[in-house]
Amino acid sequence: MAIVNLQNVTYKYPLTDVSALQNISLKVEEGEFVAVIGPNGAGKSTLCYAIAGFVPHFFKGELTGTVEVAGNESINSTLSEWVLNVGLAFQNPFNQISGAKYTVFEELAFGLENIGIPRAEMKRRVEDAMKLTGISDLADRSPYSLSGGQQQRVALTSILVMQPKVLVLDEPTSQMDPIGTREVFGVIRSMAERGMTVILVEHKVEWIAQFADRVIALKDGGILLDGAPSEVLTSPLLPAHGFATSRYTSVARKAREMGVWNGENLPVTLDEAVEGFSQRVKGIKS
Amino acid sequence: MHERLSFFVRRDSPIHRLNPMTKVVMALSLVLIAFLSPWYWTPLALFLLVIIPLTLLAKVAREYWSFIFKVILPTVAILFLMQALFLPGESKIVFKLFGLEVTELSAQLAFRNVTRIIVMISSFTVLLLSTHPSELMSDLTQRGLPGQFAYVVISSLQIIPQMQAKAQTIISAQRSRGLDTQSSFFRRVSGILPLVGPLVFGSLVEVEERAIAIEARGFTSRHPKTFLHQIPDTSTDKLIRWILAALVLITILLRLWPS
Repeated sequence: MAIVNLQNVTYKYPLTDVSALQNISLKVEEGEFVAVIGPNGAGKSTLCYAIAGFVPHFFKGELTGTVEVAGNESINSTLSEWVLNVGLAFQNPFNQISGAKYTVFEELAFGLENIGIPRAEMKRRVEDAMKLTGISDLADRSPYSLSGGQQQRVALTSILVMQPKVLVLDEPTSQMDPIGTREVFGVIRSMAERGMTVILVEHKVEWIAQFADRVIALKDGGILLDGAPSEVLTSPLLPAHGFATSRYTSVARKAREMGVWNGENLPVTLDEAVEGFSQRVKGIKS
Repeated sequence: MHERLSFFVRRDSPIHRLNPMTKVVMALSLVLIAFLSPWYWTPLALFLLVIIPLTLLAKVAREYWSFIFKVILPTVAILFLMQALFLPGESKIVFKLFGLEVTELSAQLAFRNVTRIIVMISSFTVLLLSTHPSELMSDLTQRGLPGQFAYVVISSLQIIPQMQAKAQTIISAQRSRGLDTQSSFFRRVSGILPLVGPLVFGSLVEVEERAIAIEARGFTSRHPKTFLHQIPDTSTDKLIRWILAALVLITILLRLWPS
């Protein structure tokens, strides 16, 4: 059974004429890791807000169609109940720090205090989550004294401790270097393997290709493509619609035009590109 | 780099270990006694016999006096002079200044008012010097203060310095593009406009995002809250609070029925 189920969702922000989401229908299975890509203004963040209940509860505006998570419809729920099922972390880590706490440990416990988790369990959950995201050494630091990448991990961890069924992440690695990005993708992957459903908006397509189960390409508030990463990320529709694609895909596509790419599929990652080209080289040598 | 808007000084002292509520009650009682006591020397006595020993006991005397000298003393000195000069009082003239008379009675009244103010400021200074703001708010929330109120207080203490830093960044950015911040008054004022825009609009966006972030962490949840830190409230704390309440009551009685 699909844990996230959107049926014909159309949404307009207040005081705007254009729908940010247009007739979106989407099902996500439990434990699935879905990546969402799209150019600016495609509705990626709005989709995140819709699944996380902030559309329409926080932003108001007009919503038609139904958003269901774990069998409940968002319109019939309150935001504070909804966040127990769906966790949301987004781009700017600085604004996700509550400001109400003086250490990272307290910051991570903030959400658990709000939803009334008993003290012993609270401490255990915070410690576990810090280990998972590799920030145990930051426990006693002030959240404001951290670097952007560290703050971003704190923001992600502060949602993970809440143990939502569905994790919605809107560009959670924007402030991170490649090493930090790899670690965070590793964490997200392992959360998905443990059965957490992950919906991730991300520009870094090479990482998506390695980690996601499925990719959805959004364009002008609608779903353009929806499928396996290797198919969606190499689709000729992406460059035509202004999507960022992997440089390896672009190179191989050029190579195919010139007749020097033998592979059936285009590569997304460096490894795939190397493999494809080395096959070609072997073909020439033999 | 990150400066907090807080007086708190971390020390290991019996005053630091008191429950925050006890210290709030202590500060309020001192203020009430200073203002309600029928005798003009009570505030001075409180200052000498209670507040100074408290600052020593809390090991914050140095910070306390530096605050008093820098901020309070200049204000209070002017206040004393004004009150002594302008409060009416028909009694012996002590001395004259610019044709205004300072009488015994007006000096006495001015002295009482000024010492009251010193006691008021000092007692809250001791509270803030010896109590971590988050501990104070956490304790008050556990006693039923609305969480939203505590959030506003604590987040302001942390976010205002962040906003100041941001304003400084914007000013530097604009100066590096040739904004004049050092010439005539008029040019400087007209130079402020391009700074206000980014700061104000940027802050509005931040507020919205922060609202989403804390909402995503169940801030408006109806569940009864739990608390990470248990703040000790000992029987000594309770005893101190009852004694203070009794002292306030006695002061009120003395005030109502002067013997």
